[in-house]
Amino acid sequence: MNSIIEMKNVSYRYPVSEDWNIKNASFTIEKGKFTAIIGNNGSGKTTLCNIIRGFIPHFYKGDLEGDVIVDEKKIVEYQLGQLGEKIGYVFQNPFIQVSGVKDTVFDEVAFGLENLGVEENEIIDRVNEILKLIKIEHLREKHPMGLSGGQRQRVALASIIVMNPDILVIDEPTSQLDPIGTEHVFDIIRLMKEQGKTIILVEHKMDLIAEYADNLIVLNNGEIVLQGPVREVFADPRYGEYNIQYPHVTEVALNLQRNGVQLKYVPIRDEELSESISWSGVGEGAYD
Amino acid sequence: MQKNRIQQLHPMTKFFFALLVSAAVLIIPGFIFSFLVFPILLVIATAAGIVKEFFGTVMKALLFLLIIIFFMQLLFYPGDHVMGQWGIFKWTEEGLNYGLTLTSRILAMGSAFILFFRLTEVRDFVKSLEDAGLPPMGAYVVLSTLQIIPEMRRHANTIMDAQKTRGVETEGSMLTRAKAFIPTLTPLILSSISSTEERAITLESRAFSAPTKKTSLHKLTKSTADRILPFVYIIILIGLVLWRILR
Amino acid sequence: MKRSFKDDFNMMSMLLIPIGVAVNIVGFQIANVLRLPIFLDTIGTILIGVVAGPWVALLAGLITNLINGIFNPTYFPYAITSVAIGLGVGYLSKTGMFKNIPKTIISGIVITFIAVIVSAPITVLVFGGATGGTGAILTATFLASGQKIWSAVFASSFIFEIADKVVSALIVYFIVRKMSDRYLSKMNYGTLYMKREGR
Repeated sequence: MNSIIEMKNVSYRYPVSEDWNIKNASFTIEKGKFTAIIGNNGSGKTTLCNIIRGFIPHFYKGDLEGDVIVDEKKIVEYQLGQLGEKIGYVFQNPFIQVSGVKDTVFDEVAFGLENLGVEENEIIDRVNEILKLIKIEHLREKHPMGLSGGQRQRVALASIIVMNPDILVIDEPTSQLDPIGTEHVFDIIRLMKEQGKTIILVEHKMDLIAEYADNLIVLNNGEIVLQGPVREVFADPRYGEYNIQYPHVTEVALNLQRNGVQLKYVPIRDEELSESISWSGVGEGAYD
Repeated sequence: MQKNRIQQLHPMTKFFFALLVSAAVLIIPGFIFSFLVFPILLVIATAAGIVKEFFGTVMKALLFLLIIIFFMQLLFYPGDHVMGQWGIFKWTEEGLNYGLTLTSRILAMGSAFILFFRLTEVRDFVKSLEDAGLPPMGAYVVLSTLQIIPEMRRHANTIMDAQKTRGVETEGSMLTRAKAFIPTLTPLILSSISSTEERAITLESRAFSAPTKKTSLHKLTKSTADRILPFVYIIILIGLVLWRILR
Repeated sequence: MKRSFKDDFNMMSMLLIPIGVAVNIVGFQIANVLRLPIFLDTIGTILIGVVAGPWVALLAGLITNLINGIFNPTYFPYAITSVAIGLGVGYLSKTGMFKNIPKTIISGIVITFIAVIVSAPITVLVFGGATGGTGAILTATFLASGQKIWSAVFASSFIFEIADKVVSALIVYFIVRKMSDRYLSKMNYGTLYMKREGR
């Protein structure tokens, strides 16, 4: 197994908080896998992202216990600046995720590479390539402050992806976006998965998670309560106890099951619904 | 924007010129030379194609102040050679002289810097300072300030409009107007301050504190004129000092 | 609490500077729009001095005047005043002088003295005692009544500064009160002003 991120018994609390915000979390993420972190508000998803990205303990103080290992090296042994190349981080608010000093989208996307000291011609080539890949070439000369939320979020993703990190940590990228903006963002995430990036995504839109993610980590009050392949976690009866949304189709199927319909398996994608229902069972139930 | 030859000069070449002008008016006594500086700057501004903005800014920034300064010196500067009197006010030759000297110098130095900033984009000036050793964080802070100000101003206008529709008085007696100040400014400050954390995270995500030397796509070039002019300035300055000492 | 010069500079503090400068400039503009008789153009510097300390506030004051100077170079000489105010507030904050309203008012008076003592020589030596606003009329009145230039400038600038600085200090006090502990805990001097004793 080729693990790229490993957490062993990690607990953390913010400086002013009395309770532990993350309690004894352990998990392993394999290279190239897409892991989604889900849980209700305040369950510690963003905190967990901050730990993976190294903002805890490098930026936020507070108490961190246990081991966080990224690419076979403990996170505390990295410098914050070095981690930028290894782990890309994109978060919720598209309006604050700009350098704040650049006048065009092109320069904005180039900012990270400038900071890494990449050679000038290479910067220009890589930025052009990414603008094309993410389909924002038309925004090239626009001022970053003059874009819509969806456009800004794509620029934010481009600005990170251009640095070519192996790992992408993406924290609720679509929560402030409309459906079209969400679709654009997921197109980019899918593209990154195809390129073999390790992706860690916090997201509430379960249908999209069911479609794209490999593994799930479920958080409840700072504790990892379930983890494993997406299908197994959604099918786990304990999942229902935490009042977290299901994918729509799963919700429908489980409802049918409660009303006596037999399921061959728990569907998580729309197209699986008809196949997962044991039709013979339906027939019998109807005649009873 | 198409730049002409004067605008294209390296920021430092233009900045040193403003410093040279300031030094010259302090070295050369009297007010005749100092008053000559402004027409010279007007000629340069015309050649650079920015005479309207230049003249407008000088008038807005300095005219009123210069008039006040002049009359205060004329009427209150201590002196014995009374030239005239009107009621309790009398003006002296010393006052007239000092008033003219002071206003001519402020006009010359003030307009030299106004010309500099009309000829130079702040971004270029900051870049030239960075090339000269200003830390990247310092450059970042200045450039980011320039983006935040218009944004905050826009935000303030939105809040004030919203207050008006909610019935918060922004007209009326001074106390009512004063009361509108705090609800306008406080949310502005709190929201921008709470966003600093996310901005810091954004910068770190873009490797801002990476321990390598940064590249810059924005480069300043030095022409032949940029290499020669600073020496010309120094020669002029030395000449002026010698002239002042030996005179 | 012992802090060194270098401790005061971290990314969070540096990012506060642009906000402080913008608050100074926009605050002044709002005061203008509302036709208030005071400037309210140092709120940002004072705020930064309170939560981030003297050195960060010094920079905020300096940059405020440099940026204002782009359009009006008469601001340049007064950069020294802004720098002094920033330093002064930072040291006042270190000793907890913004912890309650009476202390804040005293701080406002101390800031007034700093502002007057530093700016009066600039006004006299560089601008012959004149300032661009109504302050000049007051100075002229003092001069006409037979006072010397120094005492006239000191007196008129004190009258103009005292209300401004005390009100600004109080506004900052109320703003700091509204900041969350979570946020304050991340600022250099924020722990001093947390509601919960978090030290």
